[in-house]
Amino acid sequence: MADFSTSIRESGEVSIIDLKGFLDAHTAPTLENNFAQLIKDSKFKIVVNFEDLAYISSAGLGVFMAFIENIRDNKGDIKLTNMSDKVFNIFDLLGFPLLYEIYKNEQEAINKFSGS
Amino acid sequence: MQEAKSLKVKRNLTALVDFSRIINSSIDLEFITNNVLLTCLGKFLATRGLIALKENDKITLRASKGLPSELLNQFPEIEATVNCVDHPELISFMNTAHLKVAEKISASEDCIGIVCLGEKLNKSDYTEDDVEFLNTILNISATAVQNSMVIDELRKVNRQLDSRVQRLSSLFELSKEFGSFNESFRVVKLLVYSILGQFLVQKYAVMLFENDEPDILDSKFDNANLLTLIKKYDLQKTVDSIKKDTLKSHYAELADFGVELIVPMQMQGKTRGLIFLGTRAGSRNYSLSDIEYIYSVGNLAIISLENNRLFLEALEKQKMEEDLLIARDIQRNLLPQTLPEYEKYDIAALNVSSKQVGGDYYDVIPINDEKFYIAIADVAGKGVPASLMMANIQAFLQVICRQDLKIAEATAMINDLVTANSSEGRFITFFWGFINTGTNTFTYVNAGHNPPYLLRGDEIIKLTQGGMIFGVMKTFIPYIFEEVKLQKDDVLILYTDGVSEALNLEFEEYSEERLEKKAKEIMHKSADEILNGIKEDVQIFTQGNLQSDDITMIVIKVR
Repeated sequence: MADFSTSIRESGEVSIIDLKGFLDAHTAPTLENNFAQLIKDSKFKIVVNFEDLAYISSAGLGVFMAFIENIRDNKGDIKLTNMSDKVFNIFDLLGFPLLYEIYKNEQEAINKFSGS
Repeated sequence: MQEAKSLKVKRNLTALVDFSRIINSSIDLEFITNNVLLTCLGKFLATRGLIALKENDKITLRASKGLPSELLNQFPEIEATVNCVDHPELISFMNTAHLKVAEKISASEDCIGIVCLGEKLNKSDYTEDDVEFLNTILNISATAVQNSMVIDELRKVNRQLDSRVQRLSSLFELSKEFGSFNESFRVVKLLVYSILGQFLVQKYAVMLFENDEPDILDSKFDNANLLTLIKKYDLQKTVDSIKKDTLKSHYAELADFGVELIVPMQMQGKTRGLIFLGTRAGSRNYSLSDIEYIYSVGNLAIISLENNRLFLEALEKQKMEEDLLIARDIQRNLLPQTLPEYEKYDIAALNVSSKQVGGDYYDVIPINDEKFYIAIADVAGKGVPASLMMANIQAFLQVICRQDLKIAEATAMINDLVTANSSEGRFITFFWGFINTGTNTFTYVNAGHNPPYLLRGDEIIKLTQGGMIFGVMKTFIPYIFEEVKLQKDDVLILYTDGVSEALNLEFEEYSEERLEKKAKEIMHKSADEILNGIKEDVQIFTQGNLQSDDITMIVIKVR
């Protein structure tokens, strides 16, 4: 099984999920659980940091679609940051920038939450 | 004056050289168009203008300044021809938009775009010189525009290629992944996620037809409503994908429900399930290649789901076979291992169980030197439940025949016990009796069983006295018993319908007639020989046909 891990940090009321390794069909449940847990804890302001993510498959992308509605319904958002060009290219090809705010660095994304 | 004019020319020239340098230093189409437009506006002090470029042989708006968007939306669709600037629709648009001049950008005689400019800030008209200068600017920019258009096109093609590659690698990955999950819900999740991620969809449903019944596996629609609509529109007959337009015209309620695309999941040409998708983000449509992709992913998933189902079925079957082995063991252990021996009675018994576990039972229970019971029963149904029922009967029998009860009363008691302990529809045909070796009498009760034969000389007496079959209801009409005086050479034959109803390949029954005929023919032989004679006769009759029911017989010959 491909290597993938996540960890969650807090910055004020924003939760930051760090992704590491390969996000594909096998590892997607880990991220699903992260989102599900955050929603359960009513933490809807989420920044996902892609700094250490090497690869994302379409199933991995689907995880983001599966939770966004619920999170936005609760006045929250998932903002994406620190993508490598390779990863960004996939997000871009599929049109994610239409739906998600994608930032170069994490602080920018966090600031957006406090600004709104 | 002369000097002023030459200064103006010089300034114009410097500006042109500058412009040329800037514009040719870039391959960014947006930068170039922007620059051309701004240069023109600045040069002629115009407050509005637009630039439109050739795209698929049509002139398409690329950049504009000072024009409100509701006007821009009216920009006409015109062909990129040599005289495109004279197109009546363009002229009428220019009037509406207060645009004064239109000049084309040409590259080697071809029109690759147009520039339209609004009136000058000082309200003066465009002079011939102005138009000439405008053309000079456009001629300078033509090469840069064309080059950057080519590069733009290349970028687009590249992106399309990237997109294709991404889809192919996704499909490749998915085809590996689907096979690696053996839990159906994981397969469905993978299917859903890969489609959501690929097309930016939030509303979806995945359903299968299980034995023609729709079963929703995962959904963000209202399931109850969706099920109703699936049935209403008979969607199981869906062979091709149903797109937005068709949904609106033929499946209005689904369209109102938010469904924008239905893609069937097929296996061996049969629709086994459906994928429902809502709108895509950015209100983009599903293209043909999108639908093809979804179709491919869906079919990968259905194969995996079907494999999982077959695997579970195989497991279930294996478990059932194990159950049957246990049942058969129970059954075998219930039948008497040895038969009692009496001086005046020659006893033989036989049970050949069919491939499935049947519900036949027989017993020979010696009570003392002068008395023994014989019993034969056929429990409706097969398998474990029938075996357990048999075990019950045997236990009742073993206990009750030692209680010194009258046989008719004892029969009623067994029926009451069976009725109380059996589930609905589980009947038992039962025959039992005891032989008193001192008085040579056989006292029996027949509870709905095939009447046993008493062969005496040329005569066959059928032992029919008794009452109701076991397990239907509590005894309310008492059972009748009959006592038969036995004579030397009498032969008693007890059998189950597995004997008389054994089928040959033409689906003919062995029948009671054949049984009676054979029995008469060999009644002079020993009990064992009669038993085996009948068994072989049945086997010859059914030759080649699989034995479908148990064959059980007891033969007693009076010596």
